[in-house]
Parts: sequence; structure tokens; C-alpha cells
Amino acid sequence: MDSQPEPKDSQPKPKDSQPEPKDSQLEPVIYICGDCRKEIPVKPGDAVQCRECGYRILYKKRTSRIIQYEAR
Amino acid sequence: MEHGSLTDSKNSTFCLMDEDHTLANSVRFLLNKDPRVEFCGYSIPHPSENKVNIRVQTTGDSAKDVLKESFQDLIFLCQHVRSTFEKSVADFKSTQSRQEMNGA
Amino acid sequence: MSETASLNMQDIPQGQLPEHIELQRARVFCKADAPVHTEDVEYSGAYAAVGFDNSLQVDDFRRDFRVEIKNLSMDDIEFDMIGIDASLANAFRRILIAEVPTMAIEKVLIVNNTSVMADEILSHRLGLLPIEADPRLFDFLSENDTPNERNTIVFKMEVHCKKRGPRLTVKSDQLKWLPNGSELLMESPNPSTKPRSFTSFSCSQASLPQISGRPIGMKHLDIIITQLGPGQSIELEAHAVKGTGKVHAKWSPVGTTWYRMLPEVKLLKEVRGNDAEKLVKKCPRKVFDVEDVGHAMKKAVVSRPRDCTLCRECISGAGEENIALRRVRDHFIFTVESTGALPAEVLFTEAVKILEEKCERVISELS
Repeated sequence: MDSQPEPKDSQPKPKDSQPEPKDSQLEPVIYICGDCRKEIPVKPGDAVQCRECGYRILYKKRTSRIIQYEAR
Repeated sequence: MEHGSLTDSKNSTFCLMDEDHTLANSVRFLLNKDPRVEFCGYSIPHPSENKVNIRVQTTGDSAKDVLKESFQDLIFLCQHVRSTFEKSVADFKSTQSRQEMNGA
Repeated sequence: MSETASLNMQDIPQGQLPEHIELQRARVFCKADAPVHTEDVEYSGAYAAVGFDNSLQVDDFRRDFRVEIKNLSMDDIEFDMIGIDASLANAFRRILIAEVPTMAIEKVLIVNNTSVMADEILSHRLGLLPIEADPRLFDFLSENDTPNERNTIVFKMEVHCKKRGPRLTVKSDQLKWLPNGSELLMESPNPSTKPRSFTSFSCSQASLPQISGRPIGMKHLDIIITQLGPGQSIELEAHAVKGTGKVHAKWSPVGTTWYRMLPEVKLLKEVRGNDAEKLVKKCPRKVFDVEDVGHAMKKAVVSRPRDCTLCRECISGAGEENIALRRVRDHFIFTVESTGALPAEVLFTEAVKILEEKCERVISELS
């Protein structure tokens, strides 16, 4: 019987739990504009604003990690 | 495991782990049909636990032996059911294919 | 056993039951308000006072037990089992639903999902898809085992809906079988070591002799999994393992399986003329028919008792004196509807085998 108390059931848990080593200069993180859905790179210190339409709500992209779910 | 008296092997309760009504009801039926059995029954102490208690009281023989024989009878019944079923399926399939050949 | 005067019936041969007792033993009476005599009389000495031995004789069972197949198709079977008890029939039904193993998707590794369906909902739907793979060729995967070609089946799904195109419906044919195992790599904590795959296949599953004859895939290719809007995509890998219906219903090999006892409809009195026509009209399943007996007289006959659903329309009102509705206690009409991994007749044989294995296990524990 499967009685593992793993958090994989309802919440995603990445396979490795160690954080990636931080570079001294991070590559710009890509966000998605709430309005026009364009991908906008934002560097630390940049204004939080879409380059094209000026919308100020930006969404983060989905993680690139592989997430494992139980099909239950 | 068997819960019985050391001196009286006629009456015993057997606790089976990882079993439920599937096996217990079938073996209870066979125990009832055994003429040496005076009383038999089964209960499930709690539905969340996979445990079954089977009570056997016999007219003289050891309860364990009678229970074992009932299980062996159950195996025999199953084997007979299986062989009869397989034979019927084979007969049905051959009749079907013969009908298809005649019809085509 | 002492014989009292009332039980010393001269006209009944010794060793047989009087007719009315035999009827109570072998039939369930379905009266208008409730069924009567529903309990099985199993005790071996139940009829000891009249000299009838109610114990189980294996030779009698071997002689009396019959199986008659009525319908057989790829996935369904309907057959009659005569001469068996309800406890065994129920045991087979329970084992068919919960204990015959199948293959079903258990782990879903999602690389990318930009659709509107949440990851876990999508995974849940994938788990319920029936897989065409013989579960007898695979082993169970326990927690300590590594997933390999003997216990895991790997599927991949990569769908993308074009940006200026119409909506895309993702069906089960998008799940492609990967006979070589998982293509995804686990993230290793140490960047210098070679990344491992999620599965360790030592050889291609397609090369295994037992599988090469019958390729593995989804049973039905037209099951809608989800829909994608323009620009959305799904990329995932699904690993299927062997399991039983007891743990989760996705592993149940049958859509369902059920049995019913053979109905018996007997006309206690002759029903003639208009009453016969009324009776035939009353029955929604057309169990009765009208027969010409000559002299322009018609009477009702029971032509299709097997179709009776015991709706009791015929015995409602004044009809109860004319018709006896009963069920034959040891005649079961069994129906098995398989989801497709194994043919229905193989499923039943596997269920009986599992009951035998259970008994053997207990016998070895008792010894």
C-alpha cells in the first residue's frame, strides 16, 4: 500500500532540493506581460514595466525544473 | 495466528492478516458445509484494519486441521471452476468460428 | 438423530427433502413487498432431522457444476455459472474489481505545461487512461526497486498548439511509447557527475520476446485528455507501473463486473383470455407471451424468464396469486466488462487463480 507521506501528491517537489549556485551577474530573468503576453527580460534595478504596452503587472515564467506528480 | 486453548484444540479463533470478506466468506461457507464443524463464523474487528477473525468449533477434530482442509477444498473448487470455464470458452469459440465459416 | 412421528413421512424417500422445503432451500421467493428465504442454508446438519445430508460433497460439485457462455466478445463476456454458491461468486467479483493487477500511469514528469489545465489534474486524467499491456509480463515496482524495463512502461507526450491556429484537442493518441526508457535526466546536485535518467533500462522493451509480438500503447486512441489554446504546449513523460484496484481504481481491470441470480417466473394458475393479454402488456421486458390453445382460447405462457428484472409489475394488485417470482439460488449470470488490457475470459481465470493463491498462502501460514 502506498503510504509515503511525500509532498508529491498535491504539491510539486523538484527532484533536487539544493538551490543553484548564484552567479555574480545573473542572466536577466524573463517575465511575461499581463496584457500582451510578450516575454520581457528584467534585470535587477530595472523598472517593472512591459517594454511594449506599458502594463505594470508582470508574471513569472513557469519553472524549467522537471516536476513529478503522482497520477492519483 | 491462532488463538485457542492449549488443552482444547477443537475450538479456536484464527486471525488472518491482509484478508477481507473475499476469502473469509468463501471459507466460512465451506466450513459450514463440513460435517465436523459445530460452529463457524468470521468477523472483521475494524474495517480500517485488514484483519479477519475466523472462529471454528468442531465436534472433535483439531480446528486447525479442519480449517486447513476447508482451504484445500476451496482450492479444489477453484481449480474445477477454472477448468470448466476454460473448457466452456474453448467450446464456445470453436462453435462461433464454425458458424462464421458456414455463414461466410 | 431421533425420528418423531411428524417427520417420519412415508411418501418422501429417505435422503431427500420434502418438496416445499427443497423449494425454500433452492429458491429466493420474491414477494410483492420483500424477498423471503434469502438466507443460504449452509450448515451441513441443517436437515439432519429428516435425514438429508446438506454437506458439500466434492463429487456432487464436480458433477453438478456447469458453465454456459452466452456472449463473448473482445472485451465483454456474459456467462452462467450453475451449481456454485453466492459466497464464491461474490469472491470472484470482488477479486476481479480489486485484486487482478493491471498497468496504469503512476508517475508523471512534467517538463512544460502552459495549458489551462493544472498539472495535477492533467496527471490524474493520465492515470485513468487504460493501457494495452499484458500485466502478467511485468513485475511490481516497490519503493526500493529501480524502474527498469521489467516493471515500468514509459510514455511521452509533446504537443504544441500553433499561435495563430485553431484550438487543439489533445487525445490519447498523443502519448507515444518509449521502448528505450525515459529520455529525461535527473538534476544531479554535483555538476561534474553524469546526470542519471529517471529509469534504468538495460535493453529496449521492444526487443523482449514476450512484448515484441504485441506492441504496447494506449487501448483507445480517441480519449480526450485536454485542450490547448493558441501558443500553449504540454511536454511530459508518464511512467506506468503494475498495481491493483485495491490501491487506486485506475488499476482496476474491469469497467465493472456484476452477477445476478437467474430469475424464475412460474404461473401458479392458468391465465386465460383478456387476463392473459393484460399480463403480457403489463410486463415491460416482455417475459410473457400469449399462446393459442384452440377453441379460440388464449393463455399466457412464460417465454423469456431470463429477461425478467423482477420489477414486480405482474404481481402488483391482484396478480400475486397467479404468479410466483423467484430466483434460483445457485445459478448466477455473470457479466465481465474488461477495460481492454486483458480479454474478459482471461480476467476471470486470473481472478480464480488469485483466490487459489490466497488459500495457498494461508495454508502455508497455518502449517
